[in-house]
Amino acid sequence: MNFKKKRAKSNQEIPTSSMPDIIFMLLLFFMVATTLREVDVYVKFKLPEAVAIEKIENKRLISYIWVGKSGRIQLNDNIVELDEIQDIMYKKRVELPNVIVSLRIDKESDMGVVTDIQQALRKASTLRINYSSMLKQ
Amino acid sequence: MVQIKKKKEIEAKIPDAGMSDIVFLLLLFFLVSTTIDVDTGIGLGLPEYQEEQELVPISKERLVTVNINENGDVLLNKEVIAIPQISENLKERIESKINLPSKKKLIVSIKTDRRTNYNLYIQALDQIVLAYSEVQEAYSQQVYGKALSDLTPEEKKIVIKEKVPKIISIAEPEKIN
Repeated sequence: MNFKKKRAKSNQEIPTSSMPDIIFMLLLFFMVATTLREVDVYVKFKLPEAVAIEKIENKRLISYIWVGKSGRIQLNDNIVELDEIQDIMYKKRVELPNVIVSLRIDKESDMGVVTDIQQALRKASTLRINYSSMLKQ
Repeated sequence: MVQIKKKKEIEAKIPDAGMSDIVFLLLLFFLVSTTIDVDTGIGLGLPEYQEEQELVPISKERLVTVNINENGDVLLNKEVIAIPQISENLKERIESKINLPSKKKLIVSIKTDRRTNYNLYIQALDQIVLAYSEVQEAYSQQVYGKALSDLTPEEKKIVIKEKVPKIISIAEPEKIN
């Protein structure tokens, strides 16, 4: 009698050579699917430098206001007028109660425009602000 | 005829099972080493907007005013000062009030002209924040013997909120008549 075990004659290995390809695909998928919230900035600005700066931990909370050399104001994605800021920020605050406004203001600007923006923000009761600045070397 | 024996073929294979590990390592390396640009800046809380201002009397003891005019001249309590000296000057004043109750802590009020350069304002504000931070750090070293960043959240709260709170006031813009 033949007690020899029956074995399939085909190769029993799992082909792993394409595993890195699968991982690459995954990597690429995530790279493409993740959008690092990039905003097109329409104004030219150069940030001031400071020493006692802190990191903003929670990036989701941030709204940006740019003020360029020319005095143009950009709020998140659009160029806005000064008197529009209050309404837009108020709506923003309703959605996101503890929004932080990052002020990216050109260092050659006048304080006048800064004060005006601050007043608008106060009226919209978005009170957490952050004067964006670079670390002084 | 001599039978020519067929040579047995040796399979040549590159072991590639570990390739995925290498790719993972690469991926992890880049994940860790890439820093997405962080937002840095000077944080501040604005006061609430009120139509009618209540005037609260503040004793002169508590108040330090920093005024910057359009030419970039800086006054600290009505005396001319250079911006880099502000923090040294303030540090003593803050330190002397560490153990006072919170209603007697130092208030630094900063006021500018509409035509003051924004950069100067940030430099002055930076000096004020720096003075407070250094006092906080020194206090933490003195009392807990640790750096501020190594304190437990409760200890940190005591230092930052109770002992050396940063009270910076942005002067209300005056109405132009």
